[in-house]
Amino acid sequence: MSDPRLRDLLGTADSGRVLDALARGASRRDVLKMLAGAGMALAASHRIAALAQGVAAAQPRYGGRVRVASAASSIADTLDPARLSNQTDYARSRMLYNCLTSFDASLAPQPALAERFDSDDAKRWTFKLRGGVHFHDGRALRAEDVVFSLMRHKDPATISRAKVLADQIDSVRASAPGEVEVLLHQSNADLPATLATFPFAIVPAGTRDFNSGIGTGPFKLKEFKRGLRSIVVRNRDYWREGRPYVDEVELAGLGDEGARVNALLSGDLDLVAALDPRSVRRVEGAPGFAVFRQSSGQYSDLAMRQDMAPGSNADFVIAIKLLFDRARIAESVALGNAIVANDQPIHPSNRFYFAGLPQRELDLDKARYHFERSDLGNTPIPVVASPVANLSVEMTLALQQSANRIGMNLQLQRMPPDGYWSHYWGKSAVGWGNVNPRPNADAVLTEFFESRAVNNDAHWKDPQFDQLLVAARSEVDESKRKAMYADMQMMIHEKGGVAIPLFLSSLDAHNARLKGLSTIPVGGLMGYEFAEHVWWDA
Amino acid sequence: MNASVPARSASAASARRRSGVFGLGVPGTLGLLVILAWLLVALAAPSWISAGAQDIGGLPVFAPAQIGHWLGADYLGRDMLARVLLGARYTVVVALVAAVGASAVGTGFALLAAVSGGWLDTVLSRGMDTLISIPSKLFALIMVAAFGTSVPLLVTTAAVIYVPGAYRIARALAVNVAALDYVVVARTRGESRWYLMLHEVLPNIAAPMLVDLGLRFVYVVLLLASLSFLGLGVQPPAADWGTLVRENLGALWEGGLAVVAPALAIATLTMAVNLVVDALPGRDARKAVR
Amino acid sequence: MSPLLRLILQRLGLALISLLLVSVVVFLITAVLPGDAAQELLGQDATPETLAALRTQMGLDQPLPLRYLHWLGGLVTGNPGRSLVSDAPVMELIGNRLPNSLLLAAVTAVIAVPLALLLGTLAAVFRGGWLDRLLNNGAVVLVSVPEFLIATLAVLLLSVKLGWLPALSYASDIDSLSGAARVFVMPVLTLCCVVVAQMMRMTRAALADQLDAPYIEMARLKGVPPLRLVLREAMPNAIGPIANAVALSTSYLLGGVIIVETIFHYPGVAKLMVDGVSQRDMPLVQTCTMIFCAGYLLLVLIADVIGILANPRLRHAR
Repeated sequence: MSDPRLRDLLGTADSGRVLDALARGASRRDVLKMLAGAGMALAASHRIAALAQGVAAAQPRYGGRVRVASAASSIADTLDPARLSNQTDYARSRMLYNCLTSFDASLAPQPALAERFDSDDAKRWTFKLRGGVHFHDGRALRAEDVVFSLMRHKDPATISRAKVLADQIDSVRASAPGEVEVLLHQSNADLPATLATFPFAIVPAGTRDFNSGIGTGPFKLKEFKRGLRSIVVRNRDYWREGRPYVDEVELAGLGDEGARVNALLSGDLDLVAALDPRSVRRVEGAPGFAVFRQSSGQYSDLAMRQDMAPGSNADFVIAIKLLFDRARIAESVALGNAIVANDQPIHPSNRFYFAGLPQRELDLDKARYHFERSDLGNTPIPVVASPVANLSVEMTLALQQSANRIGMNLQLQRMPPDGYWSHYWGKSAVGWGNVNPRPNADAVLTEFFESRAVNNDAHWKDPQFDQLLVAARSEVDESKRKAMYADMQMMIHEKGGVAIPLFLSSLDAHNARLKGLSTIPVGGLMGYEFAEHVWWDA
Repeated sequence: MNASVPARSASAASARRRSGVFGLGVPGTLGLLVILAWLLVALAAPSWISAGAQDIGGLPVFAPAQIGHWLGADYLGRDMLARVLLGARYTVVVALVAAVGASAVGTGFALLAAVSGGWLDTVLSRGMDTLISIPSKLFALIMVAAFGTSVPLLVTTAAVIYVPGAYRIARALAVNVAALDYVVVARTRGESRWYLMLHEVLPNIAAPMLVDLGLRFVYVVLLLASLSFLGLGVQPPAADWGTLVRENLGALWEGGLAVVAPALAIATLTMAVNLVVDALPGRDARKAVR
Repeated sequence: MSPLLRLILQRLGLALISLLLVSVVVFLITAVLPGDAAQELLGQDATPETLAALRTQMGLDQPLPLRYLHWLGGLVTGNPGRSLVSDAPVMELIGNRLPNSLLLAAVTAVIAVPLALLLGTLAAVFRGGWLDRLLNNGAVVLVSVPEFLIATLAVLLLSVKLGWLPALSYASDIDSLSGAARVFVMPVLTLCCVVVAQMMRMTRAALADQLDAPYIEMARLKGVPPLRLVLREAMPNAIGPIANAVALSTSYLLGGVIIVETIFHYPGVAKLMVDGVSQRDMPLVQTCTMIFCAGYLLLVLIADVIGILANPRLRHAR
């Protein structure tokens, strides 16, 4: 029972309460009283009450089956939260499992399996578990399950993709019945958001074989065929009141974008992920179909290694950053489904985004000046790109075009998707990487910009930046923290080894009768959470 | 059964009169003209096309045909006519060289195997079976990993992938011929292996092998697109026609020229090549020898 | 022992050597390709620690020859091990999909082979006429259209526009004959466009070559009826190359239909194999390769035997 506008204005809890009241027959007056009680100004509460009534009139309906296709699937498909690797895995995990917390539209952590979480020093955190939650096999959720689900990531034998994140945890223990205490090595104010990410899904303690998909999530696993499809059915004992709406979801991974769109338009699918910007016009032109767009922190970055030529030359790096015609690339490469970025990784929707940073624009004269100082002449400079780094091939072509005008000789090398991450990314002197949305500023900065980070693809090392990063993590004063993140964005923008031309929106397409999709900007398909929220309109 | 029929001599059918250039007949001449036209485009296109025509975002994405941009625009708003003309050199030249190479090498080995027989035949045949059984994706990937990317490498890879197929067809044709009386006679006459291969057997398998070459050419043209996707050979912005079809597939639903034009270019070229190989005087060559 | 039987036995023996050779080559290639299964699985999230742990779990820390021998030993005893990336037995993964691939290949072959032979024979008989030109050039045009274009066009027309057929084919949904037919129409259609041309043109070329030969001329003069002329006199000498063309096309149907499997979401082994290559899942790739290779060797052996049986000179030679 949720509406994005209402939730944005009131937050999940309050909007739910208001809608509940309306459903029980509350009048507009009652709603206004409730809002006033929550400290809302009168003008705003009238607007909200009207909106709430409108939303209540379009209440979700129950039942039906949704057929969904994501973009990737293979026999590597897995139900082990520690090993999820692609859209299909993420979507499946959100259907079967819950985390302690969940994301809202602004990626702030909301209560999920933990109904309360707090900390005095951002180092010792307590999570009060929700009562009466059961796993799909009937067992009740206990603190031990949470301890197991979090601590297993620290064991190298688990092969967790979240090992780096989990290593900031010192210990997890059941501090009281229905309560878990997480102790960190260092303070981290963003822990609750981190625990809302896919790997930290809660599974029954001691689970070794994940193929039955036992979790607390809104759906139970009915069929799981690797590389082909999975079918889940509604969990009738789901703890979140009234959810989910649909009875069954069938999820398949289809690698071919054209095939996904065609199957949607032919009525064989209801929701498809990862729409190419070039298909938007087609879907929107077809009666009965719609495009679901989310602006997100996803970006592709051109990394110029600082420890080898030509990236070690600061003038070259600046010249490259000045050669991106960002607005034009957003228009002709992403067809407007992107926003211009500023060579730093924090998305404008993030609360720590630093708006005061001047936007870097295409400037051929300045670029020429720096390029001439770099003394590279017309030496061919290979730029490594691959279809796995979103739009990197196309963006390189655009870059090449401006580079030609100042006499810089860029050579595009398109590499196959397989082997790219292990052998080209972060290894080539100049090459593209790709970063999926991270839940908070600290995560993306730690993972991709800290000097020691494995994924620091430009090999950019700045001790001052590292200090700031650690300091910001434990800073509890919000405005001081904001200033620190602003400094870090400035440093990356000015001195960093990466060019970040755009933030790319995620695009999905769906049958227009399918309702309930709203923004959760950690990835496509509503941050992969669609299954819990969608419903069929009559 | 026909086993007792004497070796072939001049046949009535092959005495058909031929017209057109080099005796290719009208369809063959037409095919040759089309190939020559595409070759001309392949050589000259780079000097015709202004640098700006390839600019991203110069036109709206998948723009329809218009004055000055006769084939509209591709998926990045680049002039499609320029893309097709520039693509000719990668498709025509690469595919011709690779297909002829594959056919020549395959036929050469097949002749050797058929005429020699015995262990050489066994080694060659089983070697080719092994080669064809290596997944072509794996083969292409290892070529990239080992030798980097270049157009000569692309030609080599495409040729190697199609050698075993050509070999198998050619050998099947050649063993039939090698068993014929006149070859047996020539053999007992003490003719050299080379003589048998080139003068006795080759002319008699030339006609069907040319047909095979025509098809192999088509396959190579289509293979180029998937190889360049693996990072082998042609690198963007350059693109062969198959790649042009693939990258503009998003225009198919509205019948966009961006996907139709390169597909038509492929069709005209492959058709022309096959018209020529159909018309080539393989049969007459045999007659001349006997 | 008849020479033919000896040849077959000899070829089967050699096939084992071919298989062994292929497995060594494929193993070596996968070993030197950039990236191993552990790196491909972890991708961007790889850390030295998790990589090392995963390599140990996958057995990638063992020396190369040992891994090969281990896999080979397993294969010989009928258990080619477990897939590295999914930890499921390779036999199970392949077993789930091989029947689908065989079914698709069989259905396509049953339609495409007779069609190609018929059209090729017609073209050869009427060589030089309008039918010949039409068939010959039509085949070339058809085969020059990229496979993904044909498949996508078929979906656009038959599913999106007309709504007659499902755009996706899950083989598990085949419970009724009409359901199966609906699922198979488009994949089979696409594959026919790909394979008919080669078989047809080779049939025409080989047959026309014989029909122009003097012995046919002589038989014709003797008054042999046209049908008998083609089938009894000319065909035996042409059948060898035709059978080989059919064998090559059929082997393609077995393992090369990756585009059809991708676009129609058809659960066959080609995608399993291509994914296996991408993910450097060596036991899976090698076992798939062995199956394709064995299928191919069997098909070409049959083609060669047909060629020999049809040609008395070959039958009695050597």
